[in-house]
Amino acid sequence: MFSDEEISVFLDELEEKIQVLNENILVLEREGGSQEALQEIFRAAHTIKGSSAVMGYDKMASLTHEIENLFDQMRKGLLPVSGPLVDTLFMALDTLQILRDEIIGKDVSVDIEQVVTSLRQFQGAGSAPAPGGKPESGKGVLKQPAAIVEGGLEAVDEDVIREAEMKGFQAFWINVELESSCQMKSVRAFLVFETLQQMGEVIKSQPSADDIQEGNFDAGFRVVLLTGEDPDRIRNLLMTVSEVAKVEVSQIKLAAGQEVREQVAAGARAEKTEQAAKADHEVKTVQTVRVDVQKLDTLMNLVGELVIDRTRLNRFAEIFEGRFGSGSGDMVETMNEISSHLGQVAGDLQEQIMKARMLPVAQVFNRFPRMVRDLAQKLNKEVNFIVEGHETELDRNVIEVIGDPLIHLIRNSLDHGIEGPEERVKLGKPRNGTLKLKASYMENHIIITVQDDGKGMDPARLRAKAVEKGLIDSEVAQRMSDPEALNLIFMPGFSTVTKVSDLSGRGVGMDIVRNHIDQINGIIDLVSAPGVGTTITIKLPLTLAIIRALMVELGNEQFAFPLTNVVETISVKAEEIKKVKHNEVILVRGRVLPLVRLSDIFERESCAEMDRLFVVVLGIGEKKVGVIVDKLLGELEIVIKSLGDYLGKVPCLSGATILGDGQVALIVDVRSLVKEIGVEEAVYAAS
Amino acid sequence: MAKGEKQIDSKEDQMVVFQLTEQTYGIDIDAVFEIIRMEAITRVPRTPHFVEGVINLRGKIIPVIDLCKRFNLPLTERTSSSRIIIVDVGGNTIGMIVDGVSEVLRVPLDSIEPPPPMIHGIDAAYLRGIAILDSRLVILLNLEKILYEHEQSELQRFGIETA
Repeated sequence: MFSDEEISVFLDELEEKIQVLNENILVLEREGGSQEALQEIFRAAHTIKGSSAVMGYDKMASLTHEIENLFDQMRKGLLPVSGPLVDTLFMALDTLQILRDEIIGKDVSVDIEQVVTSLRQFQGAGSAPAPGGKPESGKGVLKQPAAIVEGGLEAVDEDVIREAEMKGFQAFWINVELESSCQMKSVRAFLVFETLQQMGEVIKSQPSADDIQEGNFDAGFRVVLLTGEDPDRIRNLLMTVSEVAKVEVSQIKLAAGQEVREQVAAGARAEKTEQAAKADHEVKTVQTVRVDVQKLDTLMNLVGELVIDRTRLNRFAEIFEGRFGSGSGDMVETMNEISSHLGQVAGDLQEQIMKARMLPVAQVFNRFPRMVRDLAQKLNKEVNFIVEGHETELDRNVIEVIGDPLIHLIRNSLDHGIEGPEERVKLGKPRNGTLKLKASYMENHIIITVQDDGKGMDPARLRAKAVEKGLIDSEVAQRMSDPEALNLIFMPGFSTVTKVSDLSGRGVGMDIVRNHIDQINGIIDLVSAPGVGTTITIKLPLTLAIIRALMVELGNEQFAFPLTNVVETISVKAEEIKKVKHNEVILVRGRVLPLVRLSDIFERESCAEMDRLFVVVLGIGEKKVGVIVDKLLGELEIVIKSLGDYLGKVPCLSGATILGDGQVALIVDVRSLVKEIGVEEAVYAAS
Repeated sequence: MAKGEKQIDSKEDQMVVFQLTEQTYGIDIDAVFEIIRMEAITRVPRTPHFVEGVINLRGKIIPVIDLCKRFNLPLTERTSSSRIIIVDVGGNTIGMIVDGVSEVLRVPLDSIEPPPPMIHGIDAAYLRGIAILDSRLVILLNLEKILYEHEQSELQRFGIETA
């Protein structure tokens, strides 16, 4: 019936349209009957209806049909926007989403009866009559016309047209051209026919109606329409069908049994609407191609190969020059030129492929307004939800992971951060709480903040709670600074809410949130003041594939430390190192720093004892540890590669990277390294 | 290679034949991706003893194991004829260091004998059998077993996360 590809195009479009509906219904709720929003909604519902009908998803088609009817009435001003109406619409959208899940084979089954009934209640006087005057005609609309004389009308057609003209209808040739990138021609054509039939009767088409419905036509087709509508309206309505690139309407005037085609007066107005429709279209359709991420990864690898070959070429040029010296004339120079150009191209290529992997964070953010609205309603809270920077782009892997933690944080803010309206008024705060979600760039990171002006968190309470739960002992709690105490909520098993609501306890799952963020090499931070509010900041790398790393040497091998975990590097004299119960430590600015030798961790030979040692200070959360290495080589952008399933998870390593000369260097997994050393014991033993 | 040849009689297998400490071994050609010269191998700490390390194979990180160490055979010098055979077993691409690769042989299935319980110190569990071809003895290896059995347990033993 339909290929997987067609279904997947349909599903993608569906997802997009549901999002459009969500956004615009939110707009309606905020601003009442905005014409623009209504138009958008009508269009989206219409598209879903048409394509789901073609694909044979009847439930979806009938549901969207109801939604469309409602909006038709709202467009005409017959139905005002109201709270219950919006709620019902959202219910309908949720049902659509479930229907979509049903299509992709999730094990759900949906009954749309209830939603349809609720929708119909709003429609008052049953369904609206079809717009446009429809000539009465017993003939099947999509009958197969007889053989067509190219460009001409047959006598039969002319008779029909004359008959219609007597009744006050006009006949038009309508040329419809679809966009060249259109992937569902048959669906679009069906929608065009649907739209035409709302306005009148199609008595002829080229190619045949069947061919058109099958998608057997190039970019366009033409039909003869009998209608009482004016040509501008016909054009505008047809232009609302997705992926319609061009519509030409010309009236058929029959003179003495001959067909004279005459362009309908294309006044400034018509031109303007067409241009507006065009501009509208240009905004909406960026030419895109779907590419498997796997392919992008492969491209990335190939670029890596290029870079390595370029290094080899450089080397070869040096050797060549050494061997043939000045006798080689310009050859060395030419070779160097080629090599540097190759390097440039490879660099640009890499950047472009990276960019191809990026998506706007809007992909995730767009889900939230609706979620916040529903939650606030459930909790009887009043919230202004502000979203900023959704055009900020992130690597798709990061986008995939970031959704859940954000949902969690936003729910937390609503549930436990922002107070109810009465309480806020009592506290002298504005009735409406403010919840702000913002994304922005900072150097080569992206910063996402979730900020509320609610209760905030009290470090003293957190300390007490942690001690009570037995997570830390009271002595440790006393020594903790306030920021350290705030970080307690990231500890597994910590929850400050005695009664866990059905949403989320602030603290329930905060450790999970942190784990998610860690997974993508991010850092999560939290600032809070009791009574003023809480700001949670997540700092993420733009991409997972490439990180900045500090390269070090041990023996004759190189290792990479991800720069996000490197606090500083110091060089110490051998005699500064103290022993505490077999553990080496040093004092850095008055604080004890436990030390470990990379050569011990990785069972390697270190080079001879030196009197000056290089220490890389690593930090994970509040823990710090110094790692002694042979040499610091500097910073480098590296592409992370996995060690593969065969080796599995190697302790203290998170992967490997390929250096410019093709050699492999291992990447240190700072988290597992710090864990392994059991920093805490060392710290507390030392103090 | 003989891959391009016409219809192979279904009653024979094609084997890549290689040397390991003076003995001749064979593995099924279907598992072999390619054969490369020795190159610098980056050692990976805290992996089983027979894992020599990883190499960069056109941008992919590939683990390499030393078959001699795998079977606890006496180690031989790496020479200019040493090779790494890249195989694909159980969905993983893995390199195996051998002393040299000599040829691709056709082995009629009926010339494959069941292995003795132990041969050159290798347990029969890791062998497919023994083929005698023009008075040469070729030991046919069972790659799945070699790479995954006992290795897996050893790999896991090393991979235990110190929580």
